[in-house]
Amino acid sequence: MKATELPRQEPGQHRPPAPPAQVEGLHPTALSAADLARRKRIRTLLTVLRFALIFLFLLIFLFPVYWIAVGAFKVEGEFYHYPPVFWPSHFSFENFGRGMTVFGGTQALTASLVVAVTNTVLVIVFGVLLAYSMGRFKVGGEDMSFFVLSLLFAPPVIATMPLFIIFKTLKMLDTYPVLFLSYILINMPFAVWVMKGFFEDIPHSIENAALLDGYSRFHAFRKYVLPLAVPGIAVTALFVFLFSWNEFLFALIFTRSRAQTLPITLAGMTGGHQIPWGEISALSLIAITPGVLLTLFFQKYLVRGLTFGAVKG
Amino acid sequence: MAGTQRAMTIEQSQKRFARLIALPGMVVLVLLVVGPLLYMFVNSFFLKTLATPRPPRFAWFQNYGALFSDQRFWNAFLKTMVIMVIGIPVQSVLALVIALLLNKKFPGSRIIVALFLIPVMITPVVAGFEWKIILDNRFGPLNYLLGFFGIHPQAWLAEPALAMASILIMDTWQWTPFVTLVLLAGLAAIPKQVYEAASVDGSSERETLWRVTMPLLRPVFTLVILLRIIFIFKIFDPVQILTGGGPGIATETLSLLTYIIGFKNFNVGMSATIAVVQLIVITIIAKVFISLVMNRREGRQS
Repeated sequence: MKATELPRQEPGQHRPPAPPAQVEGLHPTALSAADLARRKRIRTLLTVLRFALIFLFLLIFLFPVYWIAVGAFKVEGEFYHYPPVFWPSHFSFENFGRGMTVFGGTQALTASLVVAVTNTVLVIVFGVLLAYSMGRFKVGGEDMSFFVLSLLFAPPVIATMPLFIIFKTLKMLDTYPVLFLSYILINMPFAVWVMKGFFEDIPHSIENAALLDGYSRFHAFRKYVLPLAVPGIAVTALFVFLFSWNEFLFALIFTRSRAQTLPITLAGMTGGHQIPWGEISALSLIAITPGVLLTLFFQKYLVRGLTFGAVKG
Repeated sequence: MAGTQRAMTIEQSQKRFARLIALPGMVVLVLLVVGPLLYMFVNSFFLKTLATPRPPRFAWFQNYGALFSDQRFWNAFLKTMVIMVIGIPVQSVLALVIALLLNKKFPGSRIIVALFLIPVMITPVVAGFEWKIILDNRFGPLNYLLGFFGIHPQAWLAEPALAMASILIMDTWQWTPFVTLVLLAGLAAIPKQVYEAASVDGSSERETLWRVTMPLLRPVFTLVILLRIIFIFKIFDPVQILTGGGPGIATETLSLLTYIIGFKNFNVGMSATIAVVQLIVITIIAKVFISLVMNRREGRQS
């Protein structure tokens, strides 16, 4: 893990260094000692300013996450308190308990997990072969690429009405399958596009050697190419899982109660006359955990996944 | 002769194999795509709602005419454009500043970058909730903090202009880290020698930034701006949670309006029409994306 991360960072050091010594070497008489001292002071000041700014930005960008995380442990009164409570007087876990039971968190969590896992398996199984075929053999050529990319870019909302009618006719609304099947439409173009890039990176010589040894094409793929692609496939799977986990629109339209996923349960909690912010925060904290973990531990792959493979990172 | 014949059969068998393994995935995609697509195109020519029992009626381009003369459609179009035209430049500049700050490695910089990226992967619904609490006019921390600067509490989500600003703040919060990430990757890809050359030439840091770094970042900027345009076309969940398109229709985006036409008004014909329009726009953007981003990449590889 560590070793693979190094190359990404090393190029980061190459800002113009311009250390005083080098400048001095170039123009031996141009700078007096006072000038040098002044430069050094400015440089120190700039470094301090840089870290202050980094800290400030970090504070701003993490504050909303902090607020919801700390909110999960507040008691209800603290949400309706002025001035706002930045640090709860004592940490209560009641929000989690009530969120999971009274507000249906357990059922939603189950649905989210079942749907996300099943969808990930389906997308990867169907996607890997298609991606290999497109990446290695250019099946369908440019048109095929364009088709997949258009699907990837299209706003999912435009498919909701037709899918709703289809699933309604099939009496599939409000079941797990309606979600893990419809999410294929959202996730498969992504998975195919990103994995296609991973397969393109694997040199052809690998399979050619296997073919020369008399293995079948499928065998060459399964025994020689696939193992090399496993890291890429695994990361793609994590992304697909997360997209399913976070998905809101399809779940909002295709489920009513039984198959409600976590985001839908969360959204439904604002219906009452007083919003239960504590329970919302608790369930929100659970909802964001996979995403936060993915960001922290798979940062290296984030740029490639999020730009659909356009930036290799 | 025999050799070429054999080569051709290998090529043919390879083609057959490639098509065969592409088949399952293609079938799944086509099943999920072609049905809805046909349904959409056909219904966009019908007056058809689920709200009344009246049978659907073929109406040529009447839906399209109605859509393009509907102020609510243009409002949604405008609101989506506002998010793009204000949001993307603000996020780009902010991200560039942050990327330049983070570009020089220091102890712990990896952790800092990772922490910065957290907003990108936050469940969009939760993002909506986070800002709903923060922007609350009575108990929200933002109004409280603004109080220290002598700014009176603002009704963030109740005033049309402020509600739009709220959406922009939320979008900027969630997506600036993404832009930063892409720019950091772009910066990392600039060869060291380029900077060395600039420093030997005696360029100041500011000159180097404008003359060297910025031009070299152009391809990544193109990519990230196109991606942001695509993402903003899709934006739904956080807006639905934060403002629900309100007050009134002040923050109603295209995706939101499409949802409302379909599942609040149950106007099947019209929802198909607005879907077709968006599909056409997205197809054009995909073409642009391919010619600007993908072909450039392929060209570099070969």
